[in-house]
Amino acid sequence: MLVAVLFISVAIAFIARYILLSSLNQELEMRGEAIAHSVAERGGSYILDNDIPQLLVLIFDEAKLHQRKHLLSYIFIEDVNGKLLAHTMTKRLPDVLLSNKLPQGKHDAIKLLNVEGEHIYDVAAAINEGLYRIGTVHVGLNKEHIDTLVGKLRVAFLGFISLVVLITIFLSSWLTRYITKPITDLTRLSDEISRGNFDIPLKLGPDEDWDTANCPAFTNTDLPCWHFDESRSGEAPGEEHRKCAKCAFYRKHEGDEVVQLSDSFRNMVWSIKLYRRRLRESEEKYRSLFDSGPDPIFVVDCATGDIRDANPRTEELYGYAKEELLALKFLNLGPEHNAECLNYFSEGGGGCVYFPKVLHYKKGNEPFFVNMHACPISYRGRHAIIVAVTDITEMIEKDAQLIQAGKMKSLGEMSAGVAHEINQPLNAIKMGSEYLAMMQEQDLAVSKEDFLQVVAEISAQVDRAAEIIDTLRSFGRKSDLIEELVDINQPVRAVLSMVRRQFELDNIRFELDLTEGLPKVSAHSNRLQQVIFNLVTNARDAINDCSSPMDAVCDRRITIRTGKSEGKIYTEIEDTGAGIREEDQHKIFEPFFTTKEAGQGMGLGLAITYGIVKDYGGDIRINSDNKKGTVFRMQFPAANTRGGPSI
Amino acid sequence: MTDKEKVLVIDDEKPTLRMFSLLLSAYGYDILTAENGHEGVELFKAERPNLVLTDIKMPVMDGIEALKEIKRIDPHAEVIVITGHGDMDLAIQALNLDATDFINKPLQREALEQALNRASERLAITRNEEGQISVRERPEAAVIAVRGNISGHTVPHLDAAFRTAKGLGKGLILIHFEDNASINGAGITGLTRLLQTHRDEGIQVALAGLSPNFKTVFDMVGITKLASMYESAEEALQ
Repeated sequence: MLVAVLFISVAIAFIARYILLSSLNQELEMRGEAIAHSVAERGGSYILDNDIPQLLVLIFDEAKLHQRKHLLSYIFIEDVNGKLLAHTMTKRLPDVLLSNKLPQGKHDAIKLLNVEGEHIYDVAAAINEGLYRIGTVHVGLNKEHIDTLVGKLRVAFLGFISLVVLITIFLSSWLTRYITKPITDLTRLSDEISRGNFDIPLKLGPDEDWDTANCPAFTNTDLPCWHFDESRSGEAPGEEHRKCAKCAFYRKHEGDEVVQLSDSFRNMVWSIKLYRRRLRESEEKYRSLFDSGPDPIFVVDCATGDIRDANPRTEELYGYAKEELLALKFLNLGPEHNAECLNYFSEGGGGCVYFPKVLHYKKGNEPFFVNMHACPISYRGRHAIIVAVTDITEMIEKDAQLIQAGKMKSLGEMSAGVAHEINQPLNAIKMGSEYLAMMQEQDLAVSKEDFLQVVAEISAQVDRAAEIIDTLRSFGRKSDLIEELVDINQPVRAVLSMVRRQFELDNIRFELDLTEGLPKVSAHSNRLQQVIFNLVTNARDAINDCSSPMDAVCDRRITIRTGKSEGKIYTEIEDTGAGIREEDQHKIFEPFFTTKEAGQGMGLGLAITYGIVKDYGGDIRINSDNKKGTVFRMQFPAANTRGGPSI
Repeated sequence: MTDKEKVLVIDDEKPTLRMFSLLLSAYGYDILTAENGHEGVELFKAERPNLVLTDIKMPVMDGIEALKEIKRIDPHAEVIVITGHGDMDLAIQALNLDATDFINKPLQREALEQALNRASERLAITRNEEGQISVRERPEAAVIAVRGNISGHTVPHLDAAFRTAKGLGKGLILIHFEDNASINGAGITGLTRLLQTHRDEGIQVALAGLSPNFKTVFDMVGITKLASMYESAEEALQ
């Protein structure tokens, strides 16, 4: 910059010098010519008169006038024939001077001559009378004098040029100081900031102190910065921002553009600093929520199903190290249900979804149950879902215990019936064997036919008793966590095998309308038995509420239907009992709600029933007419279609 | 075959009916079977057998109802009820309705035989309550012999017999139930009251000759706490 300025100034100086010097030379030569012409004008008549003395006076006057004597070395006049008429020299005119002849037709000529070591410009001008030349005036211009003048001019000019250069240097240093340096500083600062170093002292003015403790919004991230958040509306700061009206960091100086630029830059840096701190705090807060949250959280890539991130709780719960988790697909954790979750989001589902009672597997394929919440997020620029998981194994176990307790209670209720039921085959067996024993003891012949009949009967009755025991055992068994495929008719038949007789003794008839070959349901057979048992015993109680077993005219009937409608497998249990009052219908599934007399029921049967049905993705509805009976209808999705489209 | 004693068996269990047929044929009875109370009562009306065996727990019409009906039709018919184990309430209910006896399922041959015998004997003896209770003196005790059915009607006679026995001034009073003796609910209540009043007077009472069935009933109502039980009179008098 400076060099360029200097170079340009020097170039300008040389051009100016050249113009000046050459014009000075020309000017002096023209003066010489003007003198020569004026002598020629005035001397013409003296030549014609041949008045040499006058001619001499004339040239002396001309030559010695004021300053000319320094410039003019001589003036001499020669006639047409080259004969010297007059001259101003005090010595003999050197011959070399006569060599500058003026050619015919030219008015003047100039020539540099060397006269005895002196350089002289000899200016010749013609003296004309009318059309004829009558002589020539020679004026000698002293070149040394001219050079001296030029030299003086050159010195003056050089001085001037130096001054200009100095002024230029001064100016540019001033510019540097007042314009370039602040901008350079800003550049340096913004480079530092780009590199993420925010802790540089931001000294942009004399009264700067970058003590962040002075800013309430910097130390308390919940407090908005008034200048940043509020001041755009152009109103005064509110109560909590009282001191922010004189903010220690936001500045507006009076001054030129550079000052304003640095102020605005400073404000920008402050804002960035403030908000970067807030961002970091918020990031730390949410990161700590993610890291130290009580529930496992996964971030899953929607497109690939990869686990992109997982918090430490996932490692505890699932037993994998983080690296292993990140190498897994989300599907590996729960092959049965996770696909559904991923599909929901990859097919453009919005909002958060809740998947209750999902089966996941720990390391080593140990199954456990979780509730899953999934919400779509954008993670590092990709469409992802954040999955929060709650381990509900304990709850499920409690649930199972409750169901188990309910089953035990049902078993207790059944015991009388079951005892009777087992007693029948035992009785037949006993009698058969007593008969055979008696015949043996009394040595009576048993016909082969009778013998075979007795033995076959005994065998059949043993099978019958064993079957009852099996049914009881499977009913009482605690279910696994894993569901099985159940034909909905099977639990119905199992329960009937236990209670049918008992009910018939109460004069309650069963009417069965079971559809064969239904799709299977994913459930636990013995829990469904529990449900059906609850419903048929309720049906019996309802019938007994409305009529006595001795009442021959009353229709005492429980109808059980199974079938498929709208892609769901349903079971209906209809009774001809007292019905459920309208106001009780929405309450009957609540725990501890019972319409029975105190001590007759806990009110848990239907609550457990409801829970079991819901567990298998089903629902249960009532349709009841007071005094006409009640229909309980349960529907279940067919296996492998839960949550999916209906088949 | 016509001189055979007819027995009507009412039970809702076909296998049981079949076994009954075999067993009772072996005992030499002529068997009629019915699968429920209604059928049984109809068959009873038609055939008029002297002896009926009926299950209590049956659909449509249970054994108790059938018993009532049969007794209404013919009070002299001997009805043995068959109960499930532990259904003493029903058994007592049946006895109150003048059932001859009750047998528990699963059926013991001895119990069946005893019940059948008792029924036959009862059919044989005249229905005269006075002749059913007699008091005899033994060196070590006063013995009250009981035959036939002890019911509400019999209790005053039993009372009188007791007073007579007390008058003998023995330390022990033995009530000896003959093989054919049976006792219904009212009888049991009367006996209990009797035993309670006498226990307060400090007289030892022993019961002997009861069938195991009745022992169970006595256990339930608490008679065994008031009097000691023995298999036979000899045992009691030792």
